[in-house]
Amino acid sequence: MLTINDISKSYGSFQALHHINLHVGQGKVFGLLGPNGAGKTTLIRIINHIIAPDSGTLQFDGHPMTLADVMQIGYLPEERGLYKKMRVGEQAVYLARLKGLDKDTAVRQLHQWFDRLEIDSWWNRRVEELSKGMQQKVQFVVTVLHNPRLLILDEPFSGFDPVNADLLKREILRLKEQGTTIIFSTHNMSSAEELCDDIALINHARVVLCGPLSDIKASHQGLPLDRIFINTVQSPMSD
Amino acid sequence: MNKIPLVIQREYLTRVKKPSFWVLTIVVPLLLAAVYAIPIILASRPLEHAHVLVADDTGLFQGQFRSGRDITYHEAGSIDYARRELQQHDSLDAIVYIPARETTLPRDAYLFYRSDTPSLTIQTDAQNQLQEILRNRILLDVHGLSPEDYSLITSTHIKLRTVDIETGRDGFLQVKIVVGALLALLVFMAVFMFGSQVMRGVMEEKASRIVEVIVCSVKPFQLMMGKVVGIGLVGLTQFALWVLLAGALVTGVQITHADLFEQATARHSQTEIATKGAEATQQYLTEQERAAQYQAGQGIDNSIQELIEGLTGINFAMLILLFLFYFVFGYLLYASLFAAAGSLVDNETDSQQFTLPLTIPLLLTLLLLPSMVSQPSGSLSVWLSIIPFTSPVAMLLRIPFGVPFWQVLLSMLLLLATFPLCIWAAAKVYRSAILRYGQKASWRDVWRFLRPGSKA
Repeated sequence: MLTINDISKSYGSFQALHHINLHVGQGKVFGLLGPNGAGKTTLIRIINHIIAPDSGTLQFDGHPMTLADVMQIGYLPEERGLYKKMRVGEQAVYLARLKGLDKDTAVRQLHQWFDRLEIDSWWNRRVEELSKGMQQKVQFVVTVLHNPRLLILDEPFSGFDPVNADLLKREILRLKEQGTTIIFSTHNMSSAEELCDDIALINHARVVLCGPLSDIKASHQGLPLDRIFINTVQSPMSD
Repeated sequence: MNKIPLVIQREYLTRVKKPSFWVLTIVVPLLLAAVYAIPIILASRPLEHAHVLVADDTGLFQGQFRSGRDITYHEAGSIDYARRELQQHDSLDAIVYIPARETTLPRDAYLFYRSDTPSLTIQTDAQNQLQEILRNRILLDVHGLSPEDYSLITSTHIKLRTVDIETGRDGFLQVKIVVGALLALLVFMAVFMFGSQVMRGVMEEKASRIVEVIVCSVKPFQLMMGKVVGIGLVGLTQFALWVLLAGALVTGVQITHADLFEQATARHSQTEIATKGAEATQQYLTEQERAAQYQAGQGIDNSIQELIEGLTGINFAMLILLFLFYFVFGYLLYASLFAAAGSLVDNETDSQQFTLPLTIPLLLTLLLLPSMVSQPSGSLSVWLSIIPFTSPVAMLLRIPFGVPFWQVLLSMLLLLATFPLCIWAAAKVYRSAILRYGQKASWRDVWRFLRPGSKA
């Protein structure tokens, strides 16, 4: 689905990514793990063509990735927000149209999603009237509305209460069943363990651990993922 | 796929739908008009009629006070009698008392009043009449002027008019100053107001982090330009509505006060013909007579008439076109820079260090307006109206005075050449800065973003 070939990026003297090579398989939930400042967000921005890498290439479905392919991505950033003064429905339609949906389709699909998540009554409310959790729901809907083939979720559960986090988890799994490939970036190891098929651990701009979750756990004597994470990050090898 | 139209649409509609837009567009001009109209309406409304007693010990003012619409003067003879009357009758308002002096002409007169201070109307009217009566006395009695000579002297009225010798058009310098200064102020305010709206919009997107979602679908440059253009269109909509509103007002006045306009237009074309022919002197005389007629006969306020006369002489279509040109390109130049400034900061307080250098050229031009008005073709005015960062304000000030064609052309070309550069530089800064959160940017960062080869 997505292949990252030898991507490097630096900001001045700061190396954000150092020769990253990864492969995200079709229909998989791929966990992108790592401590804060490891370079996860930079990598995600490069995949989204928000920023350009200094070197390296991206392959999407076996061909060099283009801007048209970016339209197949749904991205829920860690730093996320909405226009506070705009009404929920109006704003969701706008964001959907930016993703290439026509207005009628956007409205129809939004109502379907809003119905299922029981938020259709918010359509005419201003975003600033919603709680943070409510805003997150709207944001999630906007992210998946255009039926992206690749979904990138950066810390999707931050800000969600347990009930809504569970709801979100179920939606993610539902999308996976429908064949959506998901890149899931987090430092919440328990949710990664629960959802991911494959993981990559990034530390100090480098991939320090990568592979199917089950293999990694097997090679670490079945340790929980957070232990593996801490051991790997703290081992001098990883630097 | 090009997403700029979508961005423009959102930026435009969210602003035009706001009630504050309509308040600013309709209520504010009406309020301003009211501020001017109310004193005029109040002044033309008849006041409560006043009765004033005149006690004159000198005998010079005997029977000379003229009663008018608002005040009736009554001869009271002695001051003692007048005093008693004032104390006894509530209908009387004041006494004008002129005491006699031994040898010289009276120098002081007194306005006695009961408990309420007499209105300003009474005070000014009494003062003016005293002055006039005394002067008349001197001219007629002391110097023995004939009534004909006297009326000639008092009816003199001469006005210095500025006339372009080529076209024979009246200069109407004062009207030009007003129009030029208004245009300059308007373009300054518009560039500033809509420019800072762009900046706030960019800051909002950055602070709320929605920009991160949007830049996946839209290139940062498209987002920035969409915002700049959308808000610029809001500005143009506002102007269009203002022009319509002003047009409606003027038409309304034209219909209700048709006489003012007809005379103004007639006089204007007459001035034009006058200087062209050999009969210029002749014509001017006739005009003077006509002017005297207006003054004496119809009592139309001369300054208003002159204003209208001056205004009808201005090429408004040209003025509006030039205004639009300088607004659009001046705005594009500044708004893109404001967008870059907004992308560099997380909140308005931090924005100062970047907006100050942007506002200095505009503010400087504004501060120099008075010196430019006194010398519209001086070297300061010429330079400021050619340099792209100051030309939108400075050139509009000069336009009503007439500017050589080459200067307008040069100024326009330079502005046209500069604004793409500003947009280019702003876009470079914007796309690098917009995704940097929580770091205070410095001018060094700006330089880094601008350096050739710097990648986002």
